[in-house]
Amino acid sequence: MIQFKDVTTIYDNDESVKILNGINLEIKDGEFISIIGPAGAGKSTMLRLLTREISPFKGKIVLDGVNLAEIPPKAIPLLRRKIGTVYQDFKLLSAKTAFENVAFAMEVCGADRGEIDSDVPKILGIVGLGDKLQSFPHQLSGGEKQRLAIARALIHRPRIILADEPTGNLDLVNSYDVVKLLMKINELGTTVILATHNREVVNAIGKRVISIEKGKIVRDQVENGKYVL
Amino acid sequence: MIETFQETAKRVFDVGWTNFKRNSYLSMGTTGVMVLVLFLFSGLMSLNYLSSQIISGLEEKVDVSVYFKNDASEQEITQVKNDLELLSTVKNVEYVSKDQALNEFKARHAGDTLVQDSLAELDENPLQASLNVKAGNSSQYASIVTFLEGNKFRSLVDKINFYENEQVIARVLAISGGLQNWGFLLTMALALIAVLVTFNTVRLTIYSQKQEIEIMRLVGGSNWHIKAPYLVEGGLYGALAAIIVTVMFYPVAYFISPKIESLMPGVSLISYFVSNIFQFVPLIFFIGILLGVTSSFVAIRRFLKI
Repeated sequence: MIQFKDVTTIYDNDESVKILNGINLEIKDGEFISIIGPAGAGKSTMLRLLTREISPFKGKIVLDGVNLAEIPPKAIPLLRRKIGTVYQDFKLLSAKTAFENVAFAMEVCGADRGEIDSDVPKILGIVGLGDKLQSFPHQLSGGEKQRLAIARALIHRPRIILADEPTGNLDLVNSYDVVKLLMKINELGTTVILATHNREVVNAIGKRVISIEKGKIVRDQVENGKYVL
Repeated sequence: MIETFQETAKRVFDVGWTNFKRNSYLSMGTTGVMVLVLFLFSGLMSLNYLSSQIISGLEEKVDVSVYFKNDASEQEITQVKNDLELLSTVKNVEYVSKDQALNEFKARHAGDTLVQDSLAELDENPLQASLNVKAGNSSQYASIVTFLEGNKFRSLVDKINFYENEQVIARVLAISGGLQNWGFLLTMALALIAVLVTFNTVRLTIYSQKQEIEIMRLVGGSNWHIKAPYLVEGGLYGALAAIIVTVMFYPVAYFISPKIESLMPGVSLISYFVSNIFQFVPLIFFIGILLGVTSSFVAIRRFLKI
């Protein structure tokens, strides 16, 4: 379970500029949550707090009973292996093939060659890129690039996937493909937190929606709530 | 399965080597500066060796000679010798009797008939008995002279010739101290330059790999896996520079050694470095790698936030 308890973050040590302002939120294991709001509302900040890229100015974030602020710096990489991340700009290495991009994530975490050779093709097969192992990112479509990024996020079998505007650079068809893939991952038990400003995407998912504006939660629709302004 | 230490080390080394190769011109420039530093350091070591040879040669020629009056008995002189030998600052004391001094003088001027004839004219031996005192090091002569001045047998002493050598000793000490101080400062200045150049090279590598580092961070790469290749890269600059310096230095020393030997007989630069090869080469590698790794470490701490 993930809990945000009265979380406030500020911009550049300036207490008068609050990015998140007193956020209280509880996310159960296996949930699919969409966080929606305009640019600058604080969606990405919520995700960055979960990976300990930043720490709250006030309040705490608790993951499985552990206050993230209390995790020592050395253990932060272990936290990040539990959490897969997907971004709008894919964050792929252009000089590496699809196989190498995913393998890279395993290598830097100390996986051995045998494990890499067996797991990478499997995960690329799951996201529908089984025939693109040796393709470079520039040889893939936008949707394929995002599926490759999702494969990389899944390689450590994370319990949580954070997706920050994953459809931002995709057309409608590819956006639905990516959303369907995230929903499939969620059905297998992984918690998915999706940050987006795209209403159509959220409505298509039809799961819990949290609306955030100016750093505050303005609406939290639980179960089958369609997001309507 | 987690990879073994050897696999991790191999991977870290491979990535470090790739970083090294990737910016080949920058790497060559950095290695070149490091070569310059290590070469000058080797030159400094040569200079230290040569100056120590000059100093020890001069020190060998420096001693305190105590000349006794003609009425001093051999027993009294032996007593002074024993007193001197008890001093911790004294390395050795040599007694030269009047007869021995005369024989040595005659031998030295064997071919000089004028000197030989003059000596034959004399009824008695004109030379004095003496003690030649060697100190542990040249700075200790002053204290030995002070001891002799205050000795109970001072009245038997005609003259102490240290005062004639005092200026030479002071000069030797000043040159030796000066060389060591300036050498140290020069080494430190060069080391600082090497650190700054390597620091900037690693900084550029980190900057050019911003995206890879960000991805490594996001997927949970450990600090060791992310940072170690940059330490390896810095170490490689030092190690490669040390190899180049070792390969270049010995031939250079071989060619200049005879020239130095012609100026300073008995001093062989190449023999010194060959006989100390197992100290010199590891030292050059150690300094090179230490400079490289230290520079990388500083750059990582400054620019690589995990």
